[in-house]
Amino acid sequence: MTDQPESRPLNPSSGRVLVLLDGSRLSLLALEAAAEIAAVRGAEVLGVFVEEVDVLRSAGYGFAREVGASSGATRPLDSAMMEMRLRGLADQARRSLEQAVGGRGLRQALKLCRGSVIHEVLGLATPDDLVVMGRAGWSAMPGSRLGSTARGLIRKAPGDVLLWTDLKPRQRNRVVVLLNDDQLENHRTLSAAMELARRHRQPLTVLVRSERAGNPDAVRAIEQQLAAHDASARIRVIPRASALQIARLLREESAGQLVLSRQCSVFDEHDMDRLVVELNLPITVTS
Amino acid sequence: MTVPAPLDIDQVYHRCPLEKLEFETTEALENLELPCGQERVLRALEFGASMQADGFNLFVLGPSGAGKHELVERFLGKHASDQAVPSDWCHVYNFENADRPRALALPAGQGREFRKDMNGLADELRTAIPATFESEEYQSRLQELQEEMAKRQHQGLFDIQEEANQNNIAMITTPAGFTFAPMRNGEVIDPEEYKKFSDEEKELVESKVEELQKKLQQTIQQIPRLRKEVRERVHALNEEMVQLTLGGPMGELRQKWSHLPEVVDYLDQVREDVVEHAEVFQDSENGPPVGLLVRYRVNLLVDNAETEGAPVIYEDLPNHQHLTGQIEHRARQGTLYTDFTLIKGGSMHRANGGYLILDARRILTQPMAWESLKRILFSGEIRIESLERLYGLVSTVSLQPEPIPVSVKVILLGDRTLYYLLSHYDPDFLDLFKVEADFEDDLDRDDACYSLYARMIATMSRAVKARPLTRDAVARLIEHASRLASDQKKLTAHDRVLKDLLTEADHWAGQKAATLIDATHVQQAIDEREYRASRVRDRSMEQISRGVVKIATRGETVGQVNGLSVLRLGASMFGQPTRITATARPGKGQVVDIEREAKLGGPIHSKAVMILSRFLASRYAGDGDLSLSASLAFEQSYGGVEGDSASIAETCVLLSAIADVPLKQAFAVTGSMNQHGEVQAVGGVNEKIEGFFSVCQNAGELDSHGVLLPASNVEHLMLKQEVRDAMAEGHFTIYPISDISEAIELLTGMEAGVPDEEGRYPEGSFNSKVQARLKAFAEASRKSDDDKANGEGGKTSDD
Repeated sequence: MTDQPESRPLNPSSGRVLVLLDGSRLSLLALEAAAEIAAVRGAEVLGVFVEEVDVLRSAGYGFAREVGASSGATRPLDSAMMEMRLRGLADQARRSLEQAVGGRGLRQALKLCRGSVIHEVLGLATPDDLVVMGRAGWSAMPGSRLGSTARGLIRKAPGDVLLWTDLKPRQRNRVVVLLNDDQLENHRTLSAAMELARRHRQPLTVLVRSERAGNPDAVRAIEQQLAAHDASARIRVIPRASALQIARLLREESAGQLVLSRQCSVFDEHDMDRLVVELNLPITVTS
Repeated sequence: MTVPAPLDIDQVYHRCPLEKLEFETTEALENLELPCGQERVLRALEFGASMQADGFNLFVLGPSGAGKHELVERFLGKHASDQAVPSDWCHVYNFENADRPRALALPAGQGREFRKDMNGLADELRTAIPATFESEEYQSRLQELQEEMAKRQHQGLFDIQEEANQNNIAMITTPAGFTFAPMRNGEVIDPEEYKKFSDEEKELVESKVEELQKKLQQTIQQIPRLRKEVRERVHALNEEMVQLTLGGPMGELRQKWSHLPEVVDYLDQVREDVVEHAEVFQDSENGPPVGLLVRYRVNLLVDNAETEGAPVIYEDLPNHQHLTGQIEHRARQGTLYTDFTLIKGGSMHRANGGYLILDARRILTQPMAWESLKRILFSGEIRIESLERLYGLVSTVSLQPEPIPVSVKVILLGDRTLYYLLSHYDPDFLDLFKVEADFEDDLDRDDACYSLYARMIATMSRAVKARPLTRDAVARLIEHASRLASDQKKLTAHDRVLKDLLTEADHWAGQKAATLIDATHVQQAIDEREYRASRVRDRSMEQISRGVVKIATRGETVGQVNGLSVLRLGASMFGQPTRITATARPGKGQVVDIEREAKLGGPIHSKAVMILSRFLASRYAGDGDLSLSASLAFEQSYGGVEGDSASIAETCVLLSAIADVPLKQAFAVTGSMNQHGEVQAVGGVNEKIEGFFSVCQNAGELDSHGVLLPASNVEHLMLKQEVRDAMAEGHFTIYPISDISEAIELLTGMEAGVPDEEGRYPEGSFNSKVQARLKAFAEASRKSDDDKANGEGGKTSDD
């Protein structure tokens, strides 16, 4: 935990909301979430539709076949067909974007590009931007690991990343922020969590991973920040437990959303995948 | 023949001997548990209530208001109190067939306990099972399972991806699935560049891609099977957890109800059902759906916890639903729905193991109720079915609860007509109601009866919350009971009349601020009742006194006599005289009954006229022809005549017409007659005498008026005070007659005359006049016939 002065403006509304669209159901859900956030922030929404060059290339082979994700059925694949399908998806993405964002009276634009998703998004995003994405492809299946795109963006994005999931209507109504007592960007992570809690009118829980039992210093710093923003939260100091235990704690807390910093040791301990597997809830990763 | 002596006042009224009533007021008397004089009914009830065999249900016959219901209820209340309390019955959900709720029998009082236990279990399920699913143990086991399955699911994909990567082939996710393409440095090689590959290289790549595609295809096609396996294993885990959670409470319940195998069996089914629906309980936020928990509730249909002895139930509205129970429906958003908790038991359920009292007329007037009752008694079980279903009017799916075995003794209460009609027309009736309990209308009035009857009156007065009665009042009531029975040797057993009289006497006593009911209050009650019912009688008397209806009460007239008739209107009856006239002339031996010719006479009256016609022929015509053409009529009678009680009067008036001898109009005559001229008893003598007495009284001063009645009717006389007073003063006389000759002598003042060996009557006697006149008729007839014959012969000869 640190008390160093804020290097970036606290108010995240100065940036755009970048939402990754690929025509999948989860990307549409993520678009809805992005539109809501943008409406609160008054931010512009930039839809990003990337025609992955690998996909286009793979369709260009004469021997290319597509194996259906659900049926396992094999059918021929060619570039023209793939181009057409991607265009169709892009049109659908545009319509969805107009409907979701335009309906709220916000500015929106769709950026169509060709290349690799991570590369294109990193090229577009600024540190103030919030990147919103759904879990895509077969990583969207319940119980699966984080996809390579999500993993890459969570690690490399200059700003905050919101990994959206299909929320079930259960009474999980707390915003839980997971901090390490020794990480540098706790201040910013907590701010993002407070904003979320305020926006959704949900109670806030702060989980502090610490080697030291109780860790009064870390707790005090958090309390000071909460008091400065006239906010309240339940603060729990927890040992540096495994992803499984964290998942259990989050369930205990009825976590509806999770906020954590990119510097959180969960990432270092290669537990992020497990945490994602465990929890089917939106995760905001702050920079 | 000598004229019979007139009756004295002790013969026309049977006083209650006060010395037989050994009390001052009825307060000193103990209640009578069972009514006196109903031994036949009581023995029938005792037999019927104790008889175990099928079909020995009871029909208690008696007039309405005889106190059948009260007696039966009182008797059965006592009889049933020593018997065992029957089982409780409840309906529970049928897990094998939801449309047919099960029926469970439990020892009396345990139904409530069972219901409470099952409610407790449902509450426990509501909280304990979600808690189990929230537990760390469950969550971690579920996690392990899901992880394992997810790993297995994805491992194949990862392995293929890995294998592809090792061969420099990329596994690419497309919008609808996967594809493979050669790669270099983590990127897919441009197809144009690929063209530059050697044929061997291309073949290598393509064969590998093909191999990978096949593998991927196989792996993906295994995913549904894996998912199914996950579901099954999660279900098995859920079942295991629920079994463990249920183990405690279920074990306790099984232990508690181990004495009832059916309940234990049901509990096992509940456990299986909960386990089967384990997932539904998982939602800790909303809890399990209400519809699921309702299935574990108990619908206590019959609760005998408070019952003492065998139940005695009276169903005052015995319709089909009230008897057999019904399945109610609840309206929800315009749709009717039901479940086993909406099954309501009927009186048959409540009376199961005991007695059910029903009013026969009421059950017969309710649609299908009688048929349903018979069906239950025949089958020995109660099926709850709606009338619509029985009539086949609906075909919607509804509940068909398991039939409940029934052992009930049904006691039907009804009047005799109903009993005899049912016996005659319903072939099932005597199979089902073998015990006939026939109520006595009247009780014997002997020396032993007074104290019992007094106790019965005391019991009644307490039942109607009336003041105690003095000895005089009881005596007056007993005398009136004889009058109600129309017999000096009987007392009415009609409960309602006596109770009403007691209540009214109590009212009049109250009006006079008396603390006890005395004889004057009883008399006032009798008089008031009579007055209230006397409008028609008074109008009728007025018609006579004004001469509109002609009745002579003085002088002597040929061919005219006062007959006596009785009119019954509702519960009251009164008597009045009717003028009967006759004419006689030569003829062919026929007596014309004008009433019959005008179709106003009933068959009994016609029979009586035929009897008197044959009596005349045999007594006066001997071996010859009866050359008579006579007619008889009830004057100013427009409502029809029935009965034979006027046959003495008719004979007298006819003989008067034949003999041309006047009859005394100060007398009225009643009594029937056989072909030998003997007088036979008739009904309603008290009312008839009092009716004629009133007419005479209204016509002026009473003087030598009187009534001739059959001697065998004397013991039916209970005449009212004013008649007795007139008799005592000699103004009114009642003659008991046993032969037509006595009537003739009293009415004509002439000797009737006894025939000698040759059949001739003494000169100057009444009968000789009759005989002489009939002879003259015969001669006149013969002459007329001769004249006719000569006239016809002359004509013939002329021709």
